[in-house]
Amino acid sequence: MANKDLNIYVLVKQVPDTRSKAGVNPDGTIDRAKAGKMLNPFDAYAMQAALSAKRMGGPGSKVTAVSMGPPPAIDILYQALEHGVDKTCLLSDRKLAASDTLATSYALAKTLEYLFKSDGKPDLVFCGLQTTDGDTAQVGPEICERLDLTQVTYVEGFEIKDNLIHARKIIEGGAMEVEAKLPALMTIANSYNKLEFKTFRGAKFVQGLKRNEQLQKEYVKIIDLATVEADDMLCGLAGSPTIVSATWKIGTVGGNCTMHQGKSVEDMVTEVFETENSVIKELSKV
Amino acid sequence: MAGEVLIVAEQVKGEIAKVTLELLGEGRKLADKLGSPLSCFILGHNMDSQLEKIVQAGADKIYLADDKELEEYKTLTYRRVIIDEIDTWATQPHTLLMGSTTMGRDLAPRIAAYYETGLTADTIELDIGPYEHKAGTDKTKIGYFPECLYANRPSFGESLKARILGPWKDPQMATIRPGVFAQPKPNSKKLSDIELKKVKISFKEDDFRVSISKILREESTKMDISEAEVIIAGGFGVGSAEAFNQLKKLADCFENSTIAASRKAVDAGWITYPYQVGQTGKTVRPKLYIACGISGALQHRVGMQKADKIIAINKDPDAPIFSFADHGIVGDLFQVIPEMIKQIKALDRKKELAAV
Repeated sequence: MANKDLNIYVLVKQVPDTRSKAGVNPDGTIDRAKAGKMLNPFDAYAMQAALSAKRMGGPGSKVTAVSMGPPPAIDILYQALEHGVDKTCLLSDRKLAASDTLATSYALAKTLEYLFKSDGKPDLVFCGLQTTDGDTAQVGPEICERLDLTQVTYVEGFEIKDNLIHARKIIEGGAMEVEAKLPALMTIANSYNKLEFKTFRGAKFVQGLKRNEQLQKEYVKIIDLATVEADDMLCGLAGSPTIVSATWKIGTVGGNCTMHQGKSVEDMVTEVFETENSVIKELSKV
Repeated sequence: MAGEVLIVAEQVKGEIAKVTLELLGEGRKLADKLGSPLSCFILGHNMDSQLEKIVQAGADKIYLADDKELEEYKTLTYRRVIIDEIDTWATQPHTLLMGSTTMGRDLAPRIAAYYETGLTADTIELDIGPYEHKAGTDKTKIGYFPECLYANRPSFGESLKARILGPWKDPQMATIRPGVFAQPKPNSKKLSDIELKKVKISFKEDDFRVSISKILREESTKMDISEAEVIIAGGFGVGSAEAFNQLKKLADCFENSTIAASRKAVDAGWITYPYQVGQTGKTVRPKLYIACGISGALQHRVGMQKADKIIAINKDPDAPIFSFADHGIVGDLFQVIPEMIKQIKALDRKKELAAV
């Protein structure tokens, strides 16, 4: 039995770019306004998974990329279109500021429910395993709880046969192969296939899109909390059950590092090994 | 009175995971501060032999869910049993903790979303303390809360630690990385000294939407980096997958050694996730840690700062890693590593000569 047409959603987030030095203060803190932005690296794997799933489905399969964030986040949605995603949607609203994971999962679940009405019920929802700016891995499973989707996390490979998912996922000390029923949400680990290059068609399409406001509205839909009928009190700061009550700098541990510099490599290594002679001798192979 | 401090246990092949014992040790302290019982929820099949360990790690109460279907962790079956049980309680647990493992990170958010409560990920410190909420858009949140769960974790890419709390709703939840807390010394209690509750289990058909077809656990063939005595770790400065071979050569000069990596090296695809040290990787405590081309961001530091000796090699004299290493070598790792290999080998030759 061939797979049916798959209606696929992929959740993506724009995060500060830690690879560049822009926006990094001398004390190591990050100025989010100044920092460069990029697609969350884990979401690139999720996007690849969504595009692969589309090929596994029937000819009418489609992928919709969904994001939540301030207006500049449309950059990653254009990026998604360049890679072959069919449609995109951004939830953007000032009331979303300071959302923790629970509030984020609420807003995204409401957005998905809204899209399910206009763009069809989901067969698959993909998320990156986690974001690089929050590192929590919570939003995917929280959305599963809210929308009652089948949940498979830490996925590093999958196929869809006879409308059933066969996935390989990471577990402690190894991996597990599971069969899961649709509709499902999978979170994709960074051991999945890398995101392929932009497609020629996608790049061309986005070029055209940037010149055509009418088309933009259709392919990069920007919506707010009122559109998705979300309760403001469950969003942003008000809807977040946790807060950051204090932050503090971590002082240097010990802070008595012996520095070796400005000498020949041989001398520096000798200095270190002479001081730590007993450690090196004890641990090295005879 | 505050509700229980509840630890959701983890077991692999019927053996209780180390992280669960670590959490019981830390949970004991929290429970004592609250004046609440410390309880442990264990799900599995034929787990009786493990119960004493849980008691001796400090639990006052055990919830035991025994069923063939619970032998291996599955999201929905575990979720069902836990929420069905807690839903019968008059008072919610005050605190609910799980290991920040592939299981805990899969299950904890389900429980948190079900109870619409807060969950702090990858916590490195826990405590109980007061909090006063003075103002905010939501007036119902204002008040003084004498007993909050403090969950501290590093904030993103920064040298800042953040205290996260959410006293408005119980259970107050957190996941904690394995290896962050020490295992407690076993006490002399017996299973008969504590309360054991057998949990009622009633699955729904929907709980079986995922079935396990195969489990591939790498047995002891592969090195677990958290067990190594010597770790040669590479960061973004290593530059490529091939260059990790250099680190491997240095690791080969030591007994019980391994290579490892920072997240940036893993994200770049040069080495796989099981080798990752740090906040989202493993916590390690080797005797010797040689950090090559690792800047030393807090996310990495929390995973390795308990190493006995840290030698850091970095081109940048201002790299944060030099603030907490024992030795800092400012230089090119591709020159320093071969020199290290050369000197260790020379050491061996000296040893041989001395023996003759």
